[in-house]
Amino acid sequence: MSMQALNQLVARSIIDPNIVKSHAAGQIDDVIADFEFAPEVRKHLGGLEANSFAEFTLLAYRVVTAAEVPVRSIELPSPVEGLFGDQDQSDREHVA
Amino acid sequence: MIPFSREEREWFLRNLAKGLLDYFSVAEPPVQVEDMLKQPPPIYDADFGVVNMYSNMWDATFARPPSRRGSIFVRIDLEQDERRFALAREMLSALITSKHGRALGLPDLLLPNLRESAEYFARHLLIPEALLDAYRVNGGKKRGFADRFQIPPQIAAVRWAD
Repeated sequence: MSMQALNQLVARSIIDPNIVKSHAAGQIDDVIADFEFAPEVRKHLGGLEANSFAEFTLLAYRVVTAAEVPVRSIELPSPVEGLFGDQDQSDREHVA
Repeated sequence: MIPFSREEREWFLRNLAKGLLDYFSVAEPPVQVEDMLKQPPPIYDADFGVVNMYSNMWDATFARPPSRRGSIFVRIDLEQDERRFALAREMLSALITSKHGRALGLPDLLLPNLRESAEYFARHLLIPEALLDAYRVNGGKKRGFADRFQIPPQIAAVRWAD
């Protein structure tokens, strides 16, 4: 969602002078409110400091990319090993 | 300017191209790049122009004569597909050096790798992701791709592999 919003922001900036003017005036919050960023991303973007709008977009890209990294799935043990692999191992040691 | 990766630069260039494609409501190939230059968005009135030239030195180059409109000077005898790619490539220089492009900060981001950036931009302007996807979904093959998008075969091969 946020990456699509950021793509739209960058695309529009190339033909819309109001975006760069708002950034230069420290009012980028007003601009990004028009795009569908996730609330936590929007808050983060509003606090970015950059020397130009192009630099702002690169920093924003990093924020959005980091926010959209998929959560790793929980690693369950293989059914082949069984749920008590360690205990099984220790049982075998006792037998020996 | 902060250090940035090639991936980040290319992401930016794709969206730059998309902004122009959206403005011109491009919906099917071939992308009419020459029309874009002849009837530019108002913000680029002083930057987009095309001048035909007789030259053996280069295919096209952007120049901004002092206090005059910037224009792409293009060899008059180029094949149509080569002409379209050369114009799309040089359009990036027009954007970078425009008043709006400088206000955006484009020179710091794109001048250090201008040739590479310009060719990447041109490939994505002439062959937008959405149109490439549609071409593939409709059964389009690598053979015939260059003709459909009216681009040089060697450029089509690079874009197909992107």
